[in-house]
Amino acid sequence: MGKEKGISRLPAGPEVVRWLFGSWSVLVFAFLYVPILLLTIYSFNDSKLNIRWKGFTLDWYRALFQNDVLLSAFKNSLIIAVVVTLLATVLGTVGAWLLYRYRFPAPRLLGLLIFIPMVIPEVLMGASLRLLFVSLHFPLGYWSVIIAHTTFCFPFVLIAVQARLDSLDPALEEAALDLGAKPAGAFWLVIVPYLMPAIISGALMSFTLSMDEYLVTVLTYSADAATLPIKVYGMVKRGLDPQLNALSALFIGATAVLVFTSEILRRQGSKQPQ
Amino acid sequence: MDLTAIKSDDNVLKPRPQLAAWSILSPLFFWLLIFVVIPTALLVVASFCDRDGLGRIVYHSNTENYLRAIKSPYPEIVGRSVYFATITTVICLLVGYPVGYFIGRSTEKMRNILMMLVMVPFWTSFLIRTYAWISILAQDGLLNGFLLWANITSQPLHMLYTPGAVVLGLVYNYLPFMILPIYGSAEKLDNALVEAAYDLGAGPVRAFSNIIIPLTKPGIVAGIMLVFIPSLGMFAISGLMGGGSQQMIGDVIYKQFSGANNPPFGAALGTLLLIIFAIGLWFSNRKQVQ
Amino acid sequence: MKINRSFIKTLLTVSVGLLACASSQAAEKLNIFCWSEYIPQSVVEKFQETTGIKVSVENYASNEEMLSKLSGGGSYDLIQPSEYTVEALIKADLLATLDSSAIPNLKNIGPKYLGLPFDPANKYSVPWMVGSVGIIVNTDKVKDDIKSFSDVFQPKFKKRIVVLDDARELVTAALSTLNINCNDITDENLAKARGVLKDWLPLVKVYDSDSPKTAMLNGDTDLGVVWSGEGALLQRENKKFKWVIPTGDSHQFVDNLCIPKKAPNKANAEKFINFILQPEISALISADFPYTNPNLEARKLLGDEALANTASFPPDQQAQKMILFKDVGKKASDIDALITDLRAE
Repeated sequence: MGKEKGISRLPAGPEVVRWLFGSWSVLVFAFLYVPILLLTIYSFNDSKLNIRWKGFTLDWYRALFQNDVLLSAFKNSLIIAVVVTLLATVLGTVGAWLLYRYRFPAPRLLGLLIFIPMVIPEVLMGASLRLLFVSLHFPLGYWSVIIAHTTFCFPFVLIAVQARLDSLDPALEEAALDLGAKPAGAFWLVIVPYLMPAIISGALMSFTLSMDEYLVTVLTYSADAATLPIKVYGMVKRGLDPQLNALSALFIGATAVLVFTSEILRRQGSKQPQ
Repeated sequence: MDLTAIKSDDNVLKPRPQLAAWSILSPLFFWLLIFVVIPTALLVVASFCDRDGLGRIVYHSNTENYLRAIKSPYPEIVGRSVYFATITTVICLLVGYPVGYFIGRSTEKMRNILMMLVMVPFWTSFLIRTYAWISILAQDGLLNGFLLWANITSQPLHMLYTPGAVVLGLVYNYLPFMILPIYGSAEKLDNALVEAAYDLGAGPVRAFSNIIIPLTKPGIVAGIMLVFIPSLGMFAISGLMGGGSQQMIGDVIYKQFSGANNPPFGAALGTLLLIIFAIGLWFSNRKQVQ
Repeated sequence: MKINRSFIKTLLTVSVGLLACASSQAAEKLNIFCWSEYIPQSVVEKFQETTGIKVSVENYASNEEMLSKLSGGGSYDLIQPSEYTVEALIKADLLATLDSSAIPNLKNIGPKYLGLPFDPANKYSVPWMVGSVGIIVNTDKVKDDIKSFSDVFQPKFKKRIVVLDDARELVTAALSTLNINCNDITDENLAKARGVLKDWLPLVKVYDSDSPKTAMLNGDTDLGVVWSGEGALLQRENKKFKWVIPTGDSHQFVDNLCIPKKAPNKANAEKFINFILQPEISALISADFPYTNPNLEARKLLGDEALANTASFPPDQQAQKMILFKDVGKKASDIDALITDLRAE
């Protein structure tokens, strides 16, 4: 079977596909980036959102840094994100390891329970947690938001660590145990360093998800725990605002840096000696 | 992308956990219990409750909320949400598949660069990405500004606050969620298989539909789920891009915990939504296993 | 190994640092839950400077939204309910009594705004601003003579209308065109209102209680049913915007400052109330949000142009026709449900 196509197989096959898909990808990347790039460019425009370029200015950035409300919200977001990252990383890593190592009862049920926070629509997660807090008379504020964020962040860490565990050589732990380490010791000295790239990437993902989260936060927060996305939403609703452009540009820049850092760490991690 | 977090096949070879392991894992169990299981149960319980004049929950069991939820206009809203979610998923699939595939089959260096490029919008807050489009499409936004300046139109176009704007917002938000799993699948494709597919000589179209697409099915399914499910329950985007006249089920549920002040009704709608999801997930899981 | 240890150490130090930072914020606090576009940031900042109390502000766009969050576990020191909501909250015993010795500036409020039926002794509330719901028209785009709510909701204005995202206000507008008193909420009257609203709502382009003027200013809509303060701002901004007090009933609201019973910082809340009752501060509020200011001392500082704005200070005979809302108890859920059902279509 199979036609004899000889050496001219390539143009009809993968090359065409690569060109087609490649050019399409360029268009798609343009679609993804043009809006955010425009936001960034116009954040330097010395005019209230006119298409005409009136001159370069940092005014909007200056105003941003004097905007107490936003700065205070940013501080809240940061505090919450750091605590969430810690909790999610611990829960996710320890969870992934123990589930990998031991045979716990009802593994499919556990898997489903962990899976739920990742896919459940945020409005339902927020609403159900709100009901929980109300019935427990637990006040809404920092901790209710932290709990909510952690709940949907830790499965991401868990899955990232699990993926790395998939390629773990069992001999590694055995070697550590043979050398006299207790299981806990073996975990810290040998497994954790191996898992580090996944842990860090999971942690960075948690941090970013928490910083950006609006939908769950809006259902579980209260006045003094307002996060940046909450305030940003208020601004977006009020219409176009050059300060918002500046804020967006900063966000996008920060995200780019985070992505870049995560990638470098990941590559460093995968170069670590086994 | 294996969506069940725990593989049970090689379970038998693993030791049973000792007390130490149980106690270390217990925070995870408790977390899941208290913050996932119980809230969901509360949602179901609340759906059978009532509200008082001030909107507080009154534990007086009744099925009013469900009777209301199955009457017009709620089935239509669910229908509209499914419609939007489906269109979004289809567009994301058609637009995103080639990109995911292209990245997956590129050289490692290109892959890393392209993946980073996808991640940046993916990790950027959806509010900012939505605002980006608002600033373009608004009455006094960039696109209208350009059209007027270039004399292409004499009046600003009404682009925002339309169903199209909502779909655009959804697609823009969820496209990276489709690209990533497809990239994952495409990357793992065995080179030999791919070459064989083309070697069989039927041309790229056949090679794709008969061999490559089926091979990337896990990625496609994962992508569909990662786009369809969240976009079904989405709420803020329809408000920001649609002006509140294109309400989706997520908006209505959120409203019950906000201005409409009726948590039990919101809980009932939420429970129905959960049931729809559970059924859908169960079906897709069965198909995957097959 | 190195990344491992130092990474964890840094993460721990940073988070402990931030948490310490967070808890050191336990200086004097005040949590305000108020309408969006009602308390100027400048006033909040002045208060912070003068007293050193750290203020956090959360916004809502309707009384029902405020009630939802209040019963949903939010902990606030100051809320801004409208007259009918104050009535409901008093009935449910959710408000703290105000310490009048802490609020001496109450004397600046005009007598006709004190002792109102919903709180006859002002034990629980202090008036913030008075206003009404009326019609705003962009006369450049709309040449018709708009006089009543029915004039607004004509098929020719399809998708050119902005309305408040407020169930009770919408029902009131509908009842007003049927000559039914807006406090006469019965199943029968709601059914009639439903018939009217069923025709009206599909004509609406934007629902917005936060800032309906935005849709008017950027040309997305040509006319609408909005708060009087928004109407006043639009009239001030451009002469093409005209504020119309509808024929038939319309809602006059009195928004108030109240302190929830469980407020953690009651004394600070009372300080804030006293602070904004000062004439200069109240005038600042009016400058940003030109509703009808009940503070007579403040009115003296407003200037002729502001006092002449018909949206801020409607002529007496028209103001007399307006109606305050009464608490309708359980029927409130029926109103909410009605609008939810209709809007969902």
